[in-house]
Amino acid sequence: METAKQIIESYDGRKLRVMEVCGTHTHEIFRLGIRRILPPQIELISGPGCPVCVTPAGYIDEAVMLALEHGAVICTFGDLIRVPGSEMSLAGARSKGAAVKTVYSPLDAVDFARENPDKQVVFLAVGFETTVPAACLAVKKAAAEGLANFSILGANKTMPNAYKALKGSADAFLYPGHVNAITGTAVCEDLVKLGVSGVVAGFTADEILTALAVIIRLSASAPGEPFFRNCYPRVVRPEGSPAALKLMDTVMEPCDAEWRGLGVIPMSGLKLRPAFAAYDARLKFSLPPVAGRSNPACRCGEVLQGKCKSTDCKLFGTACTPLHPVGACMVSNEGACSAYYQYGDILNG
Amino acid sequence: MDNNMNANDFVTLAHGAGGRQTAELIDRVFKAHFSNPDFTGDDAAVLPVDAGKIAFTTDGFIVSPFEFPGGNIGKLSICGTVNDLACMGAKPLYLACAFVIEEGFPLAKLEEIAAAMKKTADEAGVRIVAGDTKVAGKGQVDHVFITTTGVGQLTEGVRTSGAFARPGDAVIVTGDVGRHGCTILLARNEFEIDADVTSDCAPLWGTVKSMIDASRDIHVIRDATRGGVGTVLYEIADQSKVGIRLNSADVPVAPEVRGVCGMLGLEPLYLACEGRLVVFAPKSEAPAILEALRKGPYSASAAIIGEVVADHPGKVVMTTEIGAQSLLPQPGGELLPRIC
Repeated sequence: METAKQIIESYDGRKLRVMEVCGTHTHEIFRLGIRRILPPQIELISGPGCPVCVTPAGYIDEAVMLALEHGAVICTFGDLIRVPGSEMSLAGARSKGAAVKTVYSPLDAVDFARENPDKQVVFLAVGFETTVPAACLAVKKAAAEGLANFSILGANKTMPNAYKALKGSADAFLYPGHVNAITGTAVCEDLVKLGVSGVVAGFTADEILTALAVIIRLSASAPGEPFFRNCYPRVVRPEGSPAALKLMDTVMEPCDAEWRGLGVIPMSGLKLRPAFAAYDARLKFSLPPVAGRSNPACRCGEVLQGKCKSTDCKLFGTACTPLHPVGACMVSNEGACSAYYQYGDILNG
Repeated sequence: MDNNMNANDFVTLAHGAGGRQTAELIDRVFKAHFSNPDFTGDDAAVLPVDAGKIAFTTDGFIVSPFEFPGGNIGKLSICGTVNDLACMGAKPLYLACAFVIEEGFPLAKLEEIAAAMKKTADEAGVRIVAGDTKVAGKGQVDHVFITTTGVGQLTEGVRTSGAFARPGDAVIVTGDVGRHGCTILLARNEFEIDADVTSDCAPLWGTVKSMIDASRDIHVIRDATRGGVGTVLYEIADQSKVGIRLNSADVPVAPEVRGVCGMLGLEPLYLACEGRLVVFAPKSEAPAILEALRKGPYSASAAIIGEVVADHPGKVVMTTEIGAQSLLPQPGGELLPRIC
């Protein structure tokens, strides 16, 4: 029997563009050197699946404002600290005296708020369906305890409408297994009806190669026919995680959301429901609307849509490096530009 | 404070003032544990010198937490300096150690640290011959910091340096990688991950001696401490102006370390070791070196993980588990704070 790797290596069909929509996939694909075994007709595009990469500059501006003007303690996942805002990153704000604390879970931020009743604590809620339940849990916990000094600055996003917006960018999506573990697979079945193809993939070398091989086989067997397969059944069930979905639905509701580089995608974000409005930092601190500005030379937005490669950006590797990122894709380990930078040049520069 | 303890059980600023209480502290803790004929209490130790060359080095230790599965800051402070000497092919002879202790530090813990130092020094065959104790006010240091300085006798016919790697060398690690860094990470309890990982912290002169007894033709010996094996490989590729190829399947990683790294997105090659050496020697010598290593207590899982090539100087290229080639990412700025 042909192995997945053989199927990939021996592909000689038409051009095939596959978009991975998960930062962990991007990182693993680079780390494993999968791009180096692909035939030239297969192009992998690193899509907008890294929460840090799609966080708009305006969101960072809001966080900086909360820290510097309102004296709030910002609790955040570490990756966000170096993401550039319009004027400065949170790291820059910290050097001006802002209190910015790294946490590994939103619940740590709730603990911190409880232990520091004299401080206003704001958790930066970014991330997809995988991290939303934990943020919801944190808000519920704070509400149950009556913590008046805890709130979240929300920028959570959901994938379904992003796939629709990105429909023309790729022939098939490599769906993020961890997101589908929460949402289930009905989302993907619905996308097939709209002509969007994809397979759910796990994260080991075998799982990623298998998913790519399945895309190749299905694309070749019925060209132009949209398809869906779950190639990560050991973790992803058709119904997803009903408990997590219920929790999310209790605490949050859909809203329009801005994605760095992609603009506003209707109903692709989540915000707190009115019952939890007291925990919404934007309302609590009456933040004005913020229109963030990114470096105009940065091409992260085009990278995320597969319109250009990281290496096509003139800032790449010169003005923009992992130590001094200009664009968000260079900040996170899971960003496309960071992966290109770290794993990209090999024997021939 | 525990009801069964009293003020005499803690280090105070008076212990560092140079008077009677300083003498008591030295008697109770350091003399009691470090006693040997060369440790006199005079202003400096007076030591015989053999013909030949000495190796001389120093290292500071500020690990947090100061105790961890597999050791404590005392054991670490002996291993760190002993291993730096051993990497030059020098038999460790004498150590001096300087303590900076935070006011309020429990004396019982200080004794545990001193006992671990003595035990490790004995195992390494090295004598602690001089020391210094300072006490800093509460909050000015984190529990206890230790600096050790060591002298070793260079072995004739052995000359190692990070600049001596040559195309055709085999790259050997003396055991599974990333344990110490992983242990410290978990000991900080920041991730709420439970895994049974123990630091590899160990004195390695015996390991080095077994190798140089098997072959004098060894080009590089480095201990893979801060930054782990990956950082050492990049340093050597740079210093020797050579390329290095690794086979990821050959890199020994304990399953529990691999599991933790998988969860946290860390590369085991970039986690610190405190009892592992990276060795470069001609391929013809590698089998004898490996055979000697595998008989040793701290190097039973020694393995050849790659080779030195003339191509791509300064770069480390890895053959991944799917058989593709990928660049091992350069050491980044996000090293774990205070692991040693």
